[in-house]
Amino acid sequence: MRKELKLGLFLLIVAGLAGLAIGYVNDITSPIIAEQIKQNKIDSFAEVYPGAEEVKDESSQYVKEEDGIVTEVNVAYKAGAPCGVIYTVEPSGYSGVVRTLVAFDIATQKITGIKVLNQTETPGLGANSEESWFADRFKDKTATQPLEVVKQEPVGDNQILAITSATITSKAVTEGVNTARQHYVDNFVQQ
Amino acid sequence: MSLGKEFTKGIIRENPLFRLTLGLCPSLAVTTSVENGLGMGAAFSAVLLASNITIALLRKIIPDSIRIPSFIVIIATFVTLIEMIMHAFAPDLFKSLGIYIPLIVVNCVILGRAEAFASKNSLMPSIMDGLGMGLGFTLALVIISAFREILGAGTFYGIPLFGASANPALIMILPPGGFITMGIILALMNKFQHDAK
Repeated sequence: MRKELKLGLFLLIVAGLAGLAIGYVNDITSPIIAEQIKQNKIDSFAEVYPGAEEVKDESSQYVKEEDGIVTEVNVAYKAGAPCGVIYTVEPSGYSGVVRTLVAFDIATQKITGIKVLNQTETPGLGANSEESWFADRFKDKTATQPLEVVKQEPVGDNQILAITSATITSKAVTEGVNTARQHYVDNFVQQ
Repeated sequence: MSLGKEFTKGIIRENPLFRLTLGLCPSLAVTTSVENGLGMGAAFSAVLLASNITIALLRKIIPDSIRIPSFIVIIATFVTLIEMIMHAFAPDLFKSLGIYIPLIVVNCVILGRAEAFASKNSLMPSIMDGLGMGLGFTLALVIISAFREILGAGTFYGIPLFGASANPALIMILPPGGFITMGIILALMNKFQHDAK
């Protein structure tokens, strides 16, 4: 019995020391990590909606349970008035959630940009959805018309050319954009 | 054995990946690009060195019957530390290696070296063993990932090699490509060793 107690005590000490070390380093790194995540968010917002003076998270006001894949609604302000809306949507792709930012401009009612934040799609195929050349295919599309994925050179204004061999991912991103678009039309466009 | 030999044995003769074939799962998962291979190798080497040093120093204190749980706690602590430090100071690398870092805990090379070497040897040989094994593992990862990245993506360390018209063999950066590469390299190593006899 004494032996087992001794062994247990030894493991307790080892684990305690390990905990102390991790706690100490966590104290140093966690503020840096938090700052980084915040900065990343600000940078990605600026990428999809350039020129905003302030971006406020208004998810609590706009995101309702029935909105499904819409997870965040951020409103961009210029001179105190709302000028754009930035959505975070999480549609399901080929092998997981494709988290995407979609931004609309209130004045022109157009998509100013989209950005895939993270995804677990196939490297070399669906993972290309993160590339800017794919995001550019959504730029300046009007918010009032549903977008559609096509496999040949688009002929209509509302058509998005799919990534070769990654139709499911292309459709997922487009579904995300469409959901955000619908939400935008319902909440930010005066009929 | 001399200190120099403890260092060099990990590079070819007892290369953890090609000769001991330990730690295959995380290795095949991360070697889709040279950058990932190098990053994983560096993180792995840091953990291995730290765990070898700690275990060599504590080898007389750690009771024999609970040495494995003690090793695991020590290794897991270093992995967590490296994960936090990397997240804070090398965010880009963290982003591409993110989910593989915790896999270092269960990388059997580290536990293997702790059990087979550091718990039986003094500080200096253990440091040499850790450095050599770390370098050997990193080299192996870089070789596999160079092979896969060049054939599968047409790039080396992100630099395009063949121009825009080239159509790379995508399968090489998908999981089957990892197994194909590993098979070819192991076959070549066996052939050379066989010929040398």
